[in-house]
Amino acid sequence: MKPKVAFFDFASCEGCQLAVLNCEDAFLDILNLVDIVEFREAMSETAPRFDVAFIEGSIHREIDVQRLQGIRARSSVLVAMGACACIGNVQARSNFIAPAENFKRVYGEADRNLVQSDPEFWPLWAHTRVRAVKEIVSVDYELRGCPIVPEEFVHLVKALVVGSIPSFPANAVCVECKMAENECVFDQGETCMGQVTYGGCKAICVTHGYRCDGCRGFLPQANRVAHQAVLREKGLSDAQIEHRYRLFCSAQFVGRENRR
Amino acid sequence: MRPFLLRRDELPNWIKHLARESQVYFPQRAGRSGFRFKQVREGSLIQLEHYRPTIVPPGKKLFPAEEILFRYQTMGDEIPVVTPVLDASKQILAGVRPCDLKGIDLMDRVHGEGVPNPHYLSRRTHTTIIACDCLYPCDDACFCDAVGSLGWRKNADVFLTALDDEILVESFSERGRTLVQRTALPVCDAVDSFKERVDVRRSKPFGRQFSVPLSQIGPIIAGQWSSPVWENHVQRCFSCGSCNLVCPTCYCFNVRDDFELSDGSSGGRTATWDGCMLPTFSIVAGGHDFRPLALARQRHRVKRKFQYLTQRFEEGAFCVGCGRCGRQCTANIDIFDIVNDLIQKVEG
Repeated sequence: MKPKVAFFDFASCEGCQLAVLNCEDAFLDILNLVDIVEFREAMSETAPRFDVAFIEGSIHREIDVQRLQGIRARSSVLVAMGACACIGNVQARSNFIAPAENFKRVYGEADRNLVQSDPEFWPLWAHTRVRAVKEIVSVDYELRGCPIVPEEFVHLVKALVVGSIPSFPANAVCVECKMAENECVFDQGETCMGQVTYGGCKAICVTHGYRCDGCRGFLPQANRVAHQAVLREKGLSDAQIEHRYRLFCSAQFVGRENRR
Repeated sequence: MRPFLLRRDELPNWIKHLARESQVYFPQRAGRSGFRFKQVREGSLIQLEHYRPTIVPPGKKLFPAEEILFRYQTMGDEIPVVTPVLDASKQILAGVRPCDLKGIDLMDRVHGEGVPNPHYLSRRTHTTIIACDCLYPCDDACFCDAVGSLGWRKNADVFLTALDDEILVESFSERGRTLVQRTALPVCDAVDSFKERVDVRRSKPFGRQFSVPLSQIGPIIAGQWSSPVWENHVQRCFSCGSCNLVCPTCYCFNVRDDFELSDGSSGGRTATWDGCMLPTFSIVAGGHDFRPLALARQRHRVKRKFQYLTQRFEEGAFCVGCGRCGRQCTANIDIFDIVNDLIQKVEG
């Protein structure tokens, strides 16, 4: 029997699910190997149990927590898919602003007050902190990036189907920059998050003329003290460094080590 | 065969002439201050001097970042058919400096001795090298003379020495002679005086120098397993592996097997660059990591270049002094400084 695969989204742009659909030729081959039983971007059916659940998006509200726990209970393997699910992504920057302040900024003062007092809007207010999937349930595999790398998705599916160990080496973006023979972003007079960020993206941003902003998250071995020293030498202020660090990695890194 | 003379302003035409017949790579600008060995086209800017060493060395054209080693096809219960993939396309690497020339020679030995690497050797057999002399250090990071690379000529097919408006064209191999003879160039009658003038012009001292002879460096490093120097230099290290991947004498690779999704019965094995500074490098079956600390990894890298490989291949240094690792390191960790600090610990 073919493994049952399902896709779920929480707070996200669903771009990672589109990246899956964009695998096109490989995706059609994958359909011969697995049964997709839930996939809101592509179908309307639902299923009671799955072998593999792909979770897209960050977790904000109590009802999201409950839904995620329900999915975990129904799946054998759970994959956090994309930067939102793995590290909270850009929306986790709201963790650094008091919820009431956030609501005021987005909806205005009157609606902020309404949200707080009207029971109908109360669930919205229950959004208190943006969290990565692994902060709520155990995660078996992570597909990093904003959006995910299609080749990594295909690699993981292949490994799950044949029962081999997928390989996502914890190496810096610099590795793939050198493989592409890119001129170092620092040599271009810019600054980069590449040295402390998970590679696997083929250094796509630098290869196409931008810098690395760290969407794949901090490496376990990330030497952040040295990295901040390098950024300071290049003229970045502590506030600018904090901004760079929090852009994608807020749920992963809260900036405590920056306080002196 | 006697050396020829080429007018400096004729060099671009000569290189482009060669590029019309074969695949020629020459250092060309890539980005703001970087250079890359790029394929020569009609519009390419060809300048012999005034380029910083390329981001990765020319030897990587023989050992690409990723290459398929073999493909396989299974047929039921029969033994799978395995087909090796060998690259036999002809190429000319032109504008190779002495440091990189030596780097290629060291790699010839690494890939040729013991269990030969047919993938490297196939490319190497089909590669012609046009090297060129250096009269000035390329920048402050250079220390090629300190490790015995500046005078390297051995594996050049053609060797160019540029002085003022003239370039001396020497050929050191049959392939080089054939290449040069295809172009009608005037013979140089005064080779000795040309070379004398070159030596007068050459910077002295040439780049950074160690305070002890090269032969003493291996023993000095061997005696300093637990020196504080290692700790001092590793504090800033990102373990990003850039120093490995841009090194002319780093040749470690990892292999990965993969299968085709469409049929499941065929696939291949791919080799990709690896490096001993990467944290994943020393993780073996079962998850054990035999070199988990960045300090130990960096010590290993330095010892490879100045102690282990020099003993195995009886060569003065396995570092060619190109300075790439220090130049590419965003934390400014420089192997010359590490070795120099180790020397100072002993010399006081």
